[in-house]
Amino acid sequence: MSRLRSLFPPLVPLIGFVILFEFLVRWGIIPSYLVPAPSEVVSAILEIRSELFAAAMGTMTAAVVGLLLSFVVGSSFAICLSLSEFARKAFYPYAVFFQTVPIIAVAPILVIWFGFGQPTVIASAFIVSIFPVIASTLLGLRSTDPALLDLFKLYSARPLQVMWRLRLPYALPEIFSGLRIAAGLSVIGAIVGEFIGGGGLGSLVDTARTMQRIDQVFAAVLISSLIGLVMIALINYLSWWALKNWHHSERGEDV
Amino acid sequence: MIVRIFVLVALICSIGSTTFATKATKKTIEVTLNWKAEPEFGGFYQAVLGKTLKRSWEELAVVEGGASTPTIQMVAAGKIDFAIANGDEVVISQALGTDVVALFATYQTDPHGIMVREDSGVQNLKELLSKPDFTIALQRGIGSTLFVQKKFAPVKAKIVPFTGGITNYLADKKFAQQCFVTSEPLAAKKQGKPARAFLIADEGYNPYSVVLVTRKQVIARDPELVKAVVAAVRQGWMDYLAKPEAANKHMAGLNKSMDLETFNKIAIGQKNLIETADTKKSGLGTMTAARWKILVDQLFEMKLIKKKPDPTALFQNL
Repeated sequence: MSRLRSLFPPLVPLIGFVILFEFLVRWGIIPSYLVPAPSEVVSAILEIRSELFAAAMGTMTAAVVGLLLSFVVGSSFAICLSLSEFARKAFYPYAVFFQTVPIIAVAPILVIWFGFGQPTVIASAFIVSIFPVIASTLLGLRSTDPALLDLFKLYSARPLQVMWRLRLPYALPEIFSGLRIAAGLSVIGAIVGEFIGGGGLGSLVDTARTMQRIDQVFAAVLISSLIGLVMIALINYLSWWALKNWHHSERGEDV
Repeated sequence: MIVRIFVLVALICSIGSTTFATKATKKTIEVTLNWKAEPEFGGFYQAVLGKTLKRSWEELAVVEGGASTPTIQMVAAGKIDFAIANGDEVVISQALGTDVVALFATYQTDPHGIMVREDSGVQNLKELLSKPDFTIALQRGIGSTLFVQKKFAPVKAKIVPFTGGITNYLADKKFAQQCFVTSEPLAAKKQGKPARAFLIADEGYNPYSVVLVTRKQVIARDPELVKAVVAAVRQGWMDYLAKPEAANKHMAGLNKSMDLETFNKIAIGQKNLIETADTKKSGLGTMTAARWKILVDQLFEMKLIKKKPDPTALFQNL
């Protein structure tokens, strides 16, 4: 019951917004070739549901694979950087490169390297989502409680033990918040990749826009946000599962 | 301190002079393109250079666009008044309820085509589309792409997004792509990989192309202006067809991806797509309801429109 009740607040603005737009378009205040009425978006979703579903699956697969790659590569990179002050100072500035790279400009080059199709799309999702993983993992690894570090030293723990049993668990909340940001970005990266590489929702959006079907564009955008939401919900669940037993943020205590 | 005062004074003077300058300059009538400065827009640039707009208080200007500049939707939304679009876009737009209307059709034969390397051995479109080991880059969602896919169904070649340029074409013998038959094949030949280009118009899909559009509302507001713009554009194209060198030089300065020699070659090559026996009688850029009707029927059949707009309402020969 309380779960259902927690769904109520975000639904209020949504329903209000949908009703408002429906009437603005129906009364002709906004022409439907500029902004489609919500009912038109729904009928567009129904009209192209099979294409939409196939496209959404393509985009989601690429985004998930890109995000996993970001997680594996990004967190390993961050662990390496956290081990040495010199490495951090030497390499971190280059990690920032990934955050600032204008993916829309790089995507046509990715096609030349990886060819048309999924590899390009995954590479694009990976590039835009790796930086938050690196930054937040590094922050997490560097903010271990000094008292606990001293304790581990007192018991003459080996560096690997310190990393595995103290630093990494301590960094988990930051790692998960980095992943939440990266999840949304990976969907954006996948769609931009699809503009150039083909397939998925990106392709569908591009086609619909060219055909002046704004209702289909909105339908695809709506589905892409749904993908982002599902991915973030999944990470929230993993975060809850990993932290529920010991971390205050997932024990329902107000922070 | 003295420096600061000096800078301040200079600033005030410059603001004063610019406001003065704006008052003195003419009102600019902009035509927005859906691509960069290339010979397909030669007449529009020539109209600006030759000052062919016969209204002393106004002047024509051309604004460059890009591959994804939605010119037709910008005109429909009232963000701009004059733009270049493709004939099929005009039909789709009116079918959606806008009052976008065509004024001047540059190409009587649509130069959209598909090109494949000569050394691929492919002889025609049908053969190309039936080859599973070939890749064809086509722009998604446009009429010509859908038409080709429908006419030659089932397409066995792999269709990928068209991203501009001819890099993949040069690298791969089995890579075909969409093109302007007047343009890309020249670039391909120059790079040592000559092309065989197939005109989609020859297959039966021939919308007016590089069409000047506006809204009916703009015509109602200032019919004399719209007439003057069309006349200026027509004069620009006549001048460009006769003597393209000046406009080509100007455009080559704006668009560095193509050299002047190519500009001049394309200008000659495209002439017979623009000037036909009909336009010699009725005037450059004029259109017929019969041609528009064919297009409306084709788009309806391809399910790009849900209702058919009246072909006579799609254009005005001013």
